[in-house]
Parts: sequence; C-alpha cells; structure tokens
Amino acid sequence: MAQTQATVRPTRERKPIQARKHPYAWLKVIVYLFLLIFTITSAGPLVFTLVSSFKSMRDVLAFPPTLLPNPFVWSNYQVVFGNPLFIRWLLNSVIYAGGATILNMLFSAMAGYALGRLNFPGKNSIFLITLGIMMIPGAITLIPKFLVVNNLHMANTFWALILPAMAQPFSVFLMVQFMKVLPKELEESAMIDGASRWRTFYQIILPQVKPALTAVVILTFQGAWNDFQWPLVALGTQNMYTLPLGLFFFKSTYYTQYNLLLAGSMFNTIPILILFFIFQRYFMEGAVSSGVKG
Amino acid sequence: MATQPAGPSIASAQAGLVKEGGALPGRKRRGSAKQRSETLAAYLFLTPYLFVLCLFFFFVSLYGIGLSFFRIDLGFGAATFVGFKNYIQLFNQLANPGLSDFWTSMWNILKFTVCVVIGQTILALLLALLLQTIKTGKSAFRTMFYVPAVTSSVATSLIFLWLYNPNGLINYVLSLAGIHGPDWLNNVFWALPALMLLNIWSTAATFMIYFLAALQDLPTDVLEAAQVDGAGPWQSFSLITVPLLRPTIFLVVALGTIGAFQMFDQAKFMTNGQPLNSTLTPMLEIYNEAFNNGGFGQASAMSVILFLIIFVITILQRRMIDPGAQR
Repeated sequence: MAQTQATVRPTRERKPIQARKHPYAWLKVIVYLFLLIFTITSAGPLVFTLVSSFKSMRDVLAFPPTLLPNPFVWSNYQVVFGNPLFIRWLLNSVIYAGGATILNMLFSAMAGYALGRLNFPGKNSIFLITLGIMMIPGAITLIPKFLVVNNLHMANTFWALILPAMAQPFSVFLMVQFMKVLPKELEESAMIDGASRWRTFYQIILPQVKPALTAVVILTFQGAWNDFQWPLVALGTQNMYTLPLGLFFFKSTYYTQYNLLLAGSMFNTIPILILFFIFQRYFMEGAVSSGVKG
Repeated sequence: MATQPAGPSIASAQAGLVKEGGALPGRKRRGSAKQRSETLAAYLFLTPYLFVLCLFFFFVSLYGIGLSFFRIDLGFGAATFVGFKNYIQLFNQLANPGLSDFWTSMWNILKFTVCVVIGQTILALLLALLLQTIKTGKSAFRTMFYVPAVTSSVATSLIFLWLYNPNGLINYVLSLAGIHGPDWLNNVFWALPALMLLNIWSTAATFMIYFLAALQDLPTDVLEAAQVDGAGPWQSFSLITVPLLRPTIFLVVALGTIGAFQMFDQAKFMTNGQPLNSTLTPMLEIYNEAFNNGGFGQASAMSVILFLIIFVITILQRRMIDPGAQR
C-alpha cells in the first residue's frame, strides 16, 4: 500500500505543473474530438454504404435506419452480376481507364523528354501553349469535342474515349518538371556508350522519374475510371457504356431499389479505394501538383 | 511529409524555361547535322502529344468559339452563319431571366458557387489546421479525410441519393434533434443546398492537401517570434498564418470556383435539374440544349459566355485575395 502511494504521489504532483506548461492541453481533446467527427463524416457514408449493400430491400430503406444488415444477404450482388450488361460495363471501364492510362503515361513521358531534355526550335512555344491550354476549362470544349469525334465517325467507340485522353497537357507538364532537373551527365554517358535516343529515354531517363510516372498513372486512371460527362456525351448504346454510365442507367431501371444500386456503386468505388490505400502518397501529391491546372 | 507539390508553380517554370532557351546555343548551331537530328528526334517524341494537343485541345477550343456563330442542325444540311444571333438571343432573354433556362441556370450556379467555395475553403483550412496541431495519427486521419475525394462522383451521387431520401440517414439524424427533415431532392428550396453540401463534402479534402502543403512551408521562426512577443494562438493565426497563406487561399478559391461553375455530374445524375429547374446548372443546360434540342450553335454560345464569366471572376479573385502576386 505504502509503496503504491509513494509511486502515485509524485505523478499527482507533477500533473498541475504540466498543465501550467501547456495551457492548451485541454484543446488537444477537442482537436481529437473534431478529427473523430470529421473522420465519421468523411469515411462514414462509404462504410455505411458498403455495409448496407448486404441488406435486404426493406432494410435498406427502413426508418429508423439499421446499422448492421439483418438478414445478411448476398442476393444484391447476385442480381447485379446476373445482369449480363453489368460485366460488359465493368470491362468497358477497364478498357477505357487502362487504355487511357497506359497511353498517356507513355506519350506524356515522351513529350516530357522532348520538352525537358532536348533542344529544338519551337520548344518554348509548345511548352507555353501547354501551359495556356491547361487553363481552359473543359466547359468550352465539350460540344466541339463531340462534333469532332462524331465527324471522325468515332462516336460510340473506345476511340472516342481514349484518343482525347491519351496525351494530356497536365501530364506532360508534370513530366517536364521532373525531367528537366535531372543531371545532364545521364545522357552524355549514354551517348558515349552509343545508345540510341529511344534507348536513352527508355532505359536511362524513365527509371529516374518513377514518382512522376506513378502520379500520372494514378491521376489518369482515377480521371477515366470516375469519368461521367464525356462517356455520357460520346457513347450511345448500352453495350458500350462504362460503369458510371451503367449506374446512371441502373438508377432509372431499379428506381428506388437502393439495395441493388448501392451494391452496383461499390464496383465503381472499391477498385479506386484499393488503389488509393496502396498509393495514397501519389494521389495527394498528384492532386496538389494538378493545382497548376487553374 | 508527402504533401509537397510535385513541381514548382507555372510562373517559375515559365521563367526557368525561357531563361534556359535564351542561354542555349540553339540558334548558333542551326543547320548542323547534330542539331537537325536532335530536332527530328524531339518532334518524333512529341508526335502523339502534338496530335492530341492540336486536335482535342487547340482546334476544339477555337472550333467551339467558331460554332457559336453558326446555326447547326446535326444531320439536316450544312451549318449556316448567323453572326452574333446566338448571343443576341441569349442576352435578349435577360429581359425576363426567370423564364430563360440559361439565365436560371446561371443564377443557380452563382448561388451554388458562392456557398460551395466558401464552405469548402473554410472546411479545408479547418481540417488542415486540425491536422497540423497533432502529431500522433496525423497521416491516418488525413487518409480518412481524403476518401471522399477519390470516390467517383457517380458513386457518391448514388450514395447521397439514398442518404437524402425522405426516410434516409440524414433525416434520421435530424429527427434525433427533433427536426423534421424535408424531402431534400424534391424540394424546390432544399434541392440546391443538398447538392452544395454534397459538393463541399466531396471536394474539401483535395483543398485540405493544398493547405497542408502550404502550412508546412510556413516560416516557423516568424511564428515563434510572435509567440515570444506574447501573441495568442488566434492572434498568430489571423495576423501571421492567414496573410502568409494568401497565395494558397487564392489558388483554392480560384480552383474551387472554376470547378463549381462547371458542376454537371451531380445535377445530371441526382436531379436532372429538377424540381422546377432549381438545380439546373449551365453545363447541364448546355448539354440539354445540344443533345436534347440539337442547338449546337446556341450551346456553344452558352459555353463561351460561361467561359468568359469564369475567366473574369478568377481575375477579380486574384485582385481581391492576392493583390501582391505577379502576372
């Protein structure tokens, strides 16, 4: 007893001193409380949706809402997957996002290499046009972009989706910023070894800018995977729909069957969230560097 | 920390490139075989990008402006030049803006943008400041806050359609406080605010990252000196932090404005502009005019007006928020 009292007493005496040292110590509690509230409001809706996608139709619209699914049903996912178009939409989204991402990574890196590492007449003008173009809001180009695609007979094809996205000015800008700060010796020694320009680019430069490549890959994939407006304009038939368009179609088909709609929305959400949790650093860095878009 | 911008700003990039170009012996060596091969290689590397840049960005922008002077009926013969008629028609509607879908949408987006930009900027700054004050768990909280920003607008629209339904979670939470919530998305008064809330929710996290990056770059010695001089936390925030954050605040406000003015996905997906056009946005009106009425010329004129409004407002914001900036 005496021993425990002895050990307790000094800590008790120290506490008021600490409180005086940090007059805002109680603020910390409030800060964490707010952080907790914002965590619930940020991630809560998605977690609640995921959980609710296993509810029966009656439960999903129950008032007051239930927290956990009871009974727990898989049937929502069975119905969604049972729709033959749904798999097709998923595949279309993978083709659009995958195609745009791979091509944009390659082509913007190539353009970045030319603008960042080579000297040639017209270089400054191309770079300045790139900067200027980034400031034009997409609003002004939606209609003419559709008419161009339509005149080229590419409407309702994957070309309509992928071609405009396969070399984006912002990605080029990002690559230039990363490439132009690399030391000149990199290429010089490669040239002495007799490497071609393509090999220099592919084997020497590209490995040096992996963070930029990752950022470009992630931003392009996210943009294409989540894209709604351009597929809505460019695509016409159901079999060509991407997942966001398919969900739009689902909404008018299933109307208030939120159990099915929520299950469907998970296919649009979960892949990008998995990517985000793995590569979150690049998501956030990319978002900040895309600030120059304005 | 992982939140620094990946590249310097446009201004410095521009300056750097111009300087670099001026110092290069490119002109002197023009004509030499080596230079010619380098030029050829550069343009080969640039070919795919130049194709996309010229067709889908440069040409398309000019084409959009050009279209606004034509009357186009897709599939019904050639376009006819009508001069400023599309614009005159739109501005004539200003005599009775309540009856004009376009000006109704403009009024909606103005209300929407003001509320969303103020809301998202304050929320983003608040989140960043909260994160800045803690040490343990900082990156975990940041990750959770960022989740709405990576989720697709269609998925969040679907989710909020469900949360906003009369018997949804939001009305349940309100009922706990004794408030009888409205049928949000079918209510002429509440539909637009409901979309505002959704947009603030989904965009604040992106801008939080901007503020976090800026807060990290703040000179700590100035803040410490203020503390030594006896400044309280509110004083050092309002007198030192906020003025130093001006460029970032401008960036956030400008990007928020540009984004909010072009709001489309949620308005199309959740309400399709209804009820009674209360959530009709200019982008939705442009879409409807072009693809439902076939008025591509008229829609292009609307796009140009929208673009000019965004442009003017961004410049005014720069003057007001960050007058010290160059350019």
